[in-house]
Amino acid sequence: MPFIANILKHKSLSIVGLEKNTGKTVCLNYILNRLNQLGTHVGVTSIGVDGEQVDSVFATAKPEITLFRGTHFITSEKHYLIRQAVSKLVAVDSQRTSLGPLVTAEVLIQGKVLLSGAATTAVLKRQIQSFDRLGVDLSIVDGALSRLSLASPTVTEAMILATGAAVSANVKQLISKTRHLYQFICLDEVEEPLRSTLSNIETGLWAIDSDGQVHDLGITSVFLIDRAENDILRFGHTLFAAGAISDRLLKILSAKGKDIILIARDFTKIFVTPEVYTEYTRRGNRLMVLQRSKLIAITLNPTSPQGFLLDSKSTCDALSDALQTPVYDVKKIDQ
Amino acid sequence: MRIKELIKNDAGFLFIIDSLDIQSAAGRRHMLNTEFSNDPTVLETEWSRLAEAIRATNDIDNRRYYIDLRHCLMCLHDLSGTFTSLANRTPLNEVELFEIKNLCYMSKAAATAIQGLSLTSTLPLPDCSAVFNLLDPDHTGIANFYIYDSYDIRLAPLRRELNALQTSGGDPMRISNLLAEQSEIQNEVCLRLTDQLHPYVDTLVNTLSQMAYADGLLARAKQAIEWELVRPAIGDVTRYTHIFNPRLKQRNLSQKMRYQPVSIEIRPGVCLITGANMAGKTVLLKSVGTAQMMAQCGMYVPAEEAVIHLVEGVATSIGDDQDEMNGLSSYASEIIKISNILADCRQRELLVLIDEPARTTNPVEGKALVQAIIKILEQHPSFTLITTHYDQLGSNCRRLRVKGFVEDMENIPLTPQSINRFIDYSLTEDQSDNVPHEALRIASILQCDPEMIALASAQIQ
Repeated sequence: MPFIANILKHKSLSIVGLEKNTGKTVCLNYILNRLNQLGTHVGVTSIGVDGEQVDSVFATAKPEITLFRGTHFITSEKHYLIRQAVSKLVAVDSQRTSLGPLVTAEVLIQGKVLLSGAATTAVLKRQIQSFDRLGVDLSIVDGALSRLSLASPTVTEAMILATGAAVSANVKQLISKTRHLYQFICLDEVEEPLRSTLSNIETGLWAIDSDGQVHDLGITSVFLIDRAENDILRFGHTLFAAGAISDRLLKILSAKGKDIILIARDFTKIFVTPEVYTEYTRRGNRLMVLQRSKLIAITLNPTSPQGFLLDSKSTCDALSDALQTPVYDVKKIDQ
Repeated sequence: MRIKELIKNDAGFLFIIDSLDIQSAAGRRHMLNTEFSNDPTVLETEWSRLAEAIRATNDIDNRRYYIDLRHCLMCLHDLSGTFTSLANRTPLNEVELFEIKNLCYMSKAAATAIQGLSLTSTLPLPDCSAVFNLLDPDHTGIANFYIYDSYDIRLAPLRRELNALQTSGGDPMRISNLLAEQSEIQNEVCLRLTDQLHPYVDTLVNTLSQMAYADGLLARAKQAIEWELVRPAIGDVTRYTHIFNPRLKQRNLSQKMRYQPVSIEIRPGVCLITGANMAGKTVLLKSVGTAQMMAQCGMYVPAEEAVIHLVEGVATSIGDDQDEMNGLSSYASEIIKISNILADCRQRELLVLIDEPARTTNPVEGKALVQAIIKILEQHPSFTLITTHYDQLGSNCRRLRVKGFVEDMENIPLTPQSINRFIDYSLTEDQSDNVPHEALRIASILQCDPEMIALASAQIQ
């Protein structure tokens, strides 16, 4: 039973896919099934719309999510009313989505459900808290297409990353794309007390001097950086970006100097292309994060939505070698 | 006129309503639909309820009931769509039935809290226990809901079989058939429950409406306490002792600046308010307009003491409404507004507040227009305040002058930053037809271009 014991050390888990059709749902079903056998009280929700019977982008058949007795789940009114599980409602949220209000229910007889969820991480955080109040041991959030924000350690404690043939049918490219995100997930954390000081900063670009003092550089947006560019490093080479980190920012820093340490809030705030990142690090610069994500596992779906099939074993091994972390084929995980 | 229309007014009523700490969307909607009333009985009742709510809010011994009640109100959902379906006997679905059950549950909890706060006569809630019982056939007493087995004799055996098949990975075809059958039975139950609930639709509408009202009442009480508002009395003239503008007072206090409330009596007819620039004339008009709206919408008012003459409406022309998008200049949009006020004042008794009419056009025609406006308003029963910088208007109407600039008021240097501390905002009766000429003096204290000031002074002499 790979990685289940590791999951149980945490209160919340997100499952995010590098692309659509990377096997998140299969992975979720595997986890739910195992946790049911262990008698864990689980709460399940998603961000955006998920759990469609037919994939809305490629129109291919999609596995549904089976929930077991005692599981709490959150979905929209529309999807709740067509569920196959027998369940009772315990709460209805006042906020409405395009599919009606979000409802919370408890499964009485196991069956399949369609999950749809909050559109924002703020609502998601509130839902995880509401699961806590219902006595849930583990909250699981199923991700939607190209949403990484739910994997932020400020939202969920741990994450599973799903990758696969949908990302690229070329193994080399698949590895390189997966590794690009993986390296950000694994960035080193800054230490206390700096970490606490920076956590409270909401916006802007800041410098940390050799005494650990924090200075506002007066730059509220990267787009204004050109104006203040000349004295960005006047307090030292350690910087903190409270918002997103873009190619533009890294390019400016690459041009500025060497041995720069740029701190991001967490990996979900980093939006940098491989070329720009390589150039940045080549000069001895590095990225760090305030809070590192706990990656439980990487899963692989060898089938692409267009029907292309990768060799499961060799791809898993190649990925595993490249990333130095275990990789599981979602279709074979149960065996 | 309802609050939702009054907040579009330029006197600043929106800030008052926005500051109310209302818990639910239903409470907010109820508040926005509150009527501007000129019925003394309605208003006295409303103010008495508010007094009771203030008493309950301040009741430290029963704080837990207050917190319970606010919590119940926070959980209030707007069910108007569901009630429309119920009135039309459109079958309700499980989620809608849950919402109704939850409303009944919350109203029961709220009633307990209301009783604990001795507010039962102020906030009576309809009894929803019959509805709750219909939706709680197993007598669980909690607000969960599904189509319980006890609603239909066929459900229990069906679900037993379904459960056995699902847990053992049984025949998918059979499972699918059972689910279809269950769905059909559930629809029948929903239909039957809709019919059984139909007679209670008025009770439910009243329950939601009363709870939404309670939400607004508690929010008004909280605001009255925090802002130190006072219950107005009804009288033939309007009289405020130390009226204040809540927004400005808050800002000044937060910046550690002085706030000087003023006293004013507003009599039938037209009253001109004169005074130097920066003397707070516009703020005074806004405060008076806001206070009148608050009082006639059942709120307390921002003053130390207040007597209010009830009017049929508040008509204002305050602030610069220049709107290039509509192709209207400041003058055009102002004069259209004033023209509408005049038409309105011929129909009903109004509180009219006009800030420096015709100030953006040439002084010859501007003055003539102000004289005409005064004449028309004097012919009709209104309570009118007009601020102006025009003198020699030749009218016999009452005049109040803001005392204004007092050079020896403070023992600190007179600078652009400290100038506000040298202004006495209080009002005094003025018999003359002149206005203070202090524009150049103020410009010079504000350290404006000396050449401009010198040239202007020479021109006058």
